[in-house]
Amino acid sequence: MKNYLPLILLLIVASCSKPEPQKADVIGIEDIAYLTGDYPEKIQVINFWATWCKPCVDELPAFEKLKSTYGDKIEVILISLDDVENLESKVNPFLEKHNIQSQVKLLDYPYAAEYIPMVDPHWDGAIPVTLIKYKKEHKFFNQSFEFKELDFEVSTLLE
Amino acid sequence: MKTLKILTVVAVIALVGILASGILNVDSLNMENNEIESAINDSQNTDKAPIRKGYDIGDTATDFSLKNIDGRMVSLKNYEEAKGFIVIFTCNHCPYSVAYEDRIIALDKEFKSQGYPVIAINPNNPEAYPEDSYDNMKIRAKEKGFTFPYLFDAGQTIYPQYGATKTPHVFLLQKVDKNNIVKYIGAIDDNHKDATAIKNDYLRDAVTNLINGEEIKMTKTVAIGCSIKS
Repeated sequence: MKNYLPLILLLIVASCSKPEPQKADVIGIEDIAYLTGDYPEKIQVINFWATWCKPCVDELPAFEKLKSTYGDKIEVILISLDDVENLESKVNPFLEKHNIQSQVKLLDYPYAAEYIPMVDPHWDGAIPVTLIKYKKEHKFFNQSFEFKELDFEVSTLLE
Repeated sequence: MKTLKILTVVAVIALVGILASGILNVDSLNMENNEIESAINDSQNTDKAPIRKGYDIGDTATDFSLKNIDGRMVSLKNYEEAKGFIVIFTCNHCPYSVAYEDRIIALDKEFKSQGYPVIAINPNNPEAYPEDSYDNMKIRAKEKGFTFPYLFDAGQTIYPQYGATKTPHVFLLQKVDKNNIVKYIGAIDDNHKDATAIKNDYLRDAVTNLINGEEIKMTKTVAIGCSIKS
């Protein structure tokens, strides 16, 4: 019986700890090309944001709620356009402070005019914007989101 | 018996642990929900921007009378000698705008004498961005030594007519008869981070083309910017 003690203690510790917030994974323009050119079998909700962008920060809770509502049925990808120099000083501390659970990537590529048209021809560079991809579906939103609207878009695609 | 005792103690600790973590999680969930609610309410209050159409190349841009940081009202019609204008919607709070401040000053110094002065306009509502208040505009312009007018779009009536969506956002105008015709819309250049690593010097090329009577190759360009908030 004594052999189980560490296991039980481990269980206690595990049950007390909360899930860890995400850290941003640095990506390049080739990852944007791959992501936007793909036809995913799972719904992808791709949001372009930055820590300095107030309307982006305001809508993050809606994306987090979407992630917690749909779990593994969808993929929520938050792509930060913060400068890579601010990764450790601003971006990761922000993710920790707000306990962000969706996956976060930081795009390190200064020539925005090269990746903006890959995402959508209607995008002029203002953020936030959101791209929802599912198989051949490509829906681009040049707007701020509330959870209700995101939920509607995702549930419509899942039907 | 001893193992049973230990097990009981462990079971009790485990139960307390699970309960405590459950309560904690519920609390944090509630907090998150409140945050979400308030965020939703905020966005409902502030994001009902009208559908913006704005100008296209060849359109006639409106004149305006906006207050400069020196307290005087500025209109395009006051610039009788000008051949056109480099109108830049910009602001204090946006890191992209800040990254371009030195380059905007350089453009003004280079092209003012050739008939194309920079006219900077802050389109933001200072209630949404306190850093973009009229008083803070004055402070920033003094700190950086702006050589151009820095106007406040009070009431936010001008930027929607131009169709500016973000800062910085450039509209290059050329005077034809008494009208100001839109010749270029978009970015200053293609690298906000490093002015020495620019591949396309969009705005400088466009102004140079206008001065030389040449056709502008790229009349519309895109770049990341900070959304203008009403």
